Amino acid sequence: MADSFTLPLRPIPEKRDRPDTLPVEIAQINNQWGSFREVNEDVLRNKIAEEEEKDGLDEVDERDQDATDLDSTERLEQLYKRRAEITQFAMQAHMETMFALDFVSLLLSKQAPRQAETSLSAFLKQVAPLGSLNSEVVNPPPKPESTTKDVSAVSRGWRIQNFNAAANKLLQAASRLETEVAAETRYWNEVLTVKDKGWKVSRLPLERQSLGVQYGFLESAPVFRDRGLASLRRAEDGALSLDEGLIPAKARFVRVRVIQDGRLSGCSKPTRSSFNGDGTIEDRILQARDTVYEDELFHELVREARAIASFGVTTRQNLIQIPASDDLEILLDLVDTDEDVSEPEHCISQQGTSIAEGLARTIRILLAYAHRQNLRRRTQLPLPLTPKTRPVPEHQLIRPALAYIKHMSHVRWLQSLLKDLYGVLHSASLRPPAYTARIFSTRIQSQTSPAPAVENLVGQFLTPLLSTFNGKILTPRASFSIAIHTNLSSPPFGTTFDVSFNMPKYPDIESPGKLSHREEVEAAITHLLLLDVVFTISANSSLKSECNEDQAKRTWESIYPQHGELLIPTPKPNSEKRKKMKIALSRHELSLEIYTVRCIDGTGRGNWEKPSYHSMPHTWKPSPIVGAPNQPSLMDFVSTEVSRL
Amino acid sequence: MHEQSLFASVPVHQHHELLQQLAGLTAMQPRHCLERRLIFKAYRKPGMAGRTGASQDLQQGDLQRLNKMLNGNMYYTQVVGPVSESDFGSTAPVDQDTQMAGMDDSKPYGSSSSPSYDYERQPWKLEFRDIPEAGTRSAVTSRLMSSATLPRGDVVQAMNAWGYNFVTEYVVEGDMFIHNDIAIFLHRVLHYPGGDELSLPRRQLPALKDMTLFEKSGSYVLQAFIIVQDGSNQETMKTASQHLFGLREQLKSAVLLEQADRLSLDTRAK
Repeated sequence: MADSFTLPLRPIPEKRDRPDTLPVEIAQINNQWGSFREVNEDVLRNKIAEEEEKDGLDEVDERDQDATDLDSTERLEQLYKRRAEITQFAMQAHMETMFALDFVSLLLSKQAPRQAETSLSAFLKQVAPLGSLNSEVVNPPPKPESTTKDVSAVSRGWRIQNFNAAANKLLQAASRLETEVAAETRYWNEVLTVKDKGWKVSRLPLERQSLGVQYGFLESAPVFRDRGLASLRRAEDGALSLDEGLIPAKARFVRVRVIQDGRLSGCSKPTRSSFNGDGTIEDRILQARDTVYEDELFHELVREARAIASFGVTTRQNLIQIPASDDLEILLDLVDTDEDVSEPEHCISQQGTSIAEGLARTIRILLAYAHRQNLRRRTQLPLPLTPKTRPVPEHQLIRPALAYIKHMSHVRWLQSLLKDLYGVLHSASLRPPAYTARIFSTRIQSQTSPAPAVENLVGQFLTPLLSTFNGKILTPRASFSIAIHTNLSSPPFGTTFDVSFNMPKYPDIESPGKLSHREEVEAAITHLLLLDVVFTISANSSLKSECNEDQAKRTWESIYPQHGELLIPTPKPNSEKRKKMKIALSRHELSLEIYTVRCIDGTGRGNWEKPSYHSMPHTWKPSPIVGAPNQPSLMDFVSTEVSRL
Repeated sequence: MHEQSLFASVPVHQHHELLQQLAGLTAMQPRHCLERRLIFKAYRKPGMAGRTGASQDLQQGDLQRLNKMLNGNMYYTQVVGPVSESDFGSTAPVDQDTQMAGMDDSKPYGSSSSPSYDYERQPWKLEFRDIPEAGTRSAVTSRLMSSATLPRGDVVQAMNAWGYNFVTEYVVEGDMFIHNDIAIFLHRVLHYPGGDELSLPRRQLPALKDMTLFEKSGSYVLQAFIIVQDGSNQETMKTASQHLFGLREQLKSAVLLEQADRLSLDTRAK
């Protein structure tokens, strides 16, 4: 192209028939120049000045061109010619491209006929069958030596580089696998160790791809049963770690404290000392298990404590207070095992500690027993389904232990009462036969139930407690028996004393039967022994009088045995003066008073009764010192009184 | 009471595996059960039906009820007695005078030193099952049921007095599992050797190994059931069937629990 003749490839803009409508033009102006508001004189002037400058240049150019320009007809002719030329070139290019496409397609149709077919022209398809053209490498022209060398060097370098990369990758993979295998081996070994120890290892139900260990108790309440499963996670180095989820990993235990006379006298120790993060997985599992057990224990204790609030048991947020017996109070709370027990050591007594430890063990054994009972209940044929849910009964944890403590306290009291009374009698040289005590004589059930022996053993502890005291007294064929029942599991709650007498000499005396207060029991027994003493005196003096003929009529006769009163009938029937003896028996002493009464039958009271000449009441007390100055025995005293009249 | 149940057939080779699966599912050891089952058929006492004499004082409604009761359907019922493995093939107790009936009730049967089976001390339970309800939408077998404890010992006389004739007897052996509310009973039926030509229940049991299988292949039946106290309470009935469906889903990979054919559980006496 000699001349720089430019050809517009776009079509020549035609003159529109009619000008744009005004709104269109306004929009166009807005678009092009901005809003009309910004148009003022200065701006317009500046614009005009710019336009003029530009137009000036153009005009110069146009004038130049005009000079060299050909005339218009010639120019049009040339235009058409060139245009035809371009079209021809384009056609030719198109044809050549199509040929090339056909050629390549035909060549490819040997290898990939389906693909090549799409780009093959219809004409060629008709003329040449697919795959009729093939290509083969024939002796290529020999390349220059240097090129071959270059190519081989490059390809060799390339290959070496690739080999190196592959080798690195393989080595990396190998070492990664090695560490992985070591970690996995360690993990699985530890899992196996856990399993060999007897823990249940299984898949987690919600996380199928990870392992878990079951350490909880299947028979616990559902909340605690579900907590008894933790996943076994693998650390980076393959160490096993126990993932307990959201539960605090702190070890806690139920602490039992015994308060005696308002002072702390015993405290139970944690069953297992906590470890400080460096324990083995076994320790961790054990600790988790203990914590679940202790948590459940405390939960059940609180539940039971609320149910037995009528016994005076109070519950705080984290404390259960149980008034056990007279001066004994028990506190239960859930504390961390590593909490510093900064209790004053001097108050801790041996007895208090043993009560606390014993109680701590008892409630744990009883919870285990309750678990077994749950299993038993769960595997029974279920009761028919009803709309209302059955409440879960509270386990018996505190009640049996409390019953035991209460029962023991009552038994001790009765023992001390009997000891005191017998001591008083002994001091008066009366020799009552000893009584027999059978403490915790609950009838042992015959071994018929199919439950294991251990369950039967604990089951006996849950039955009402019974202790019996049997004794004979001085009166022949007379006896007493006291049975102490303690029952906190089923109504009637509490302790009852079943006191029964057998006094053939006083057939109108009825046994007091069931008593529930200690005072009543004391009164009943004291009364019985008083009757016994009165009867003994009258019987003995009459025995003596038999050998002594002249004093045949002068014997003590019991007139009001209920009040401990005896009388000596005078030989002279008309005499108004009689001698009367009044005996009082209490826990501490036996006292005796002699009166002279003026009454015909000696039964008068009130003004007729006057103390006799030596009215000092005579008392017998059990002396604490062995070999104390000997008092005259009751019998001697009584016989002297008879002879003195 | 209503009983809702689902059934499945368990081939004998799957039995052991299924026992283990069920033990895992229910977290309990299987409880082995052996039960004697006596079948009684109700009969209409002659002269009872349609007798309307001396019924002037009966109200119309009462009369209808009475008639319905007297002329209603007759049913087969079962009397079930649990036995233990040692009862089979054992002799009657040597000295029957030492074991007076009702003297020591707490003592389980057959616990004496030498294995012996005392028919006079056999506890019994009467179990009545109605034909399953028809046309229920729910895909479980639901039927009216009731059970009552009977006196120990010979039960035929008492049953005769109530209008039941002894038909035949068989033995069911199986294992019981409890899964929450659902009882799962995997069992099969054993027949006595030598046919059942006897007209009275046996007083002694043959050895267990001589018993013949009712289903020759030895396959077991798995029955999962829930007993509902009040069958008219739709809420509880729905809950019960939901529980059963839950179990069916859980056991889906092991056995296919499904509703039983209603007519095959027909207990009506024709």
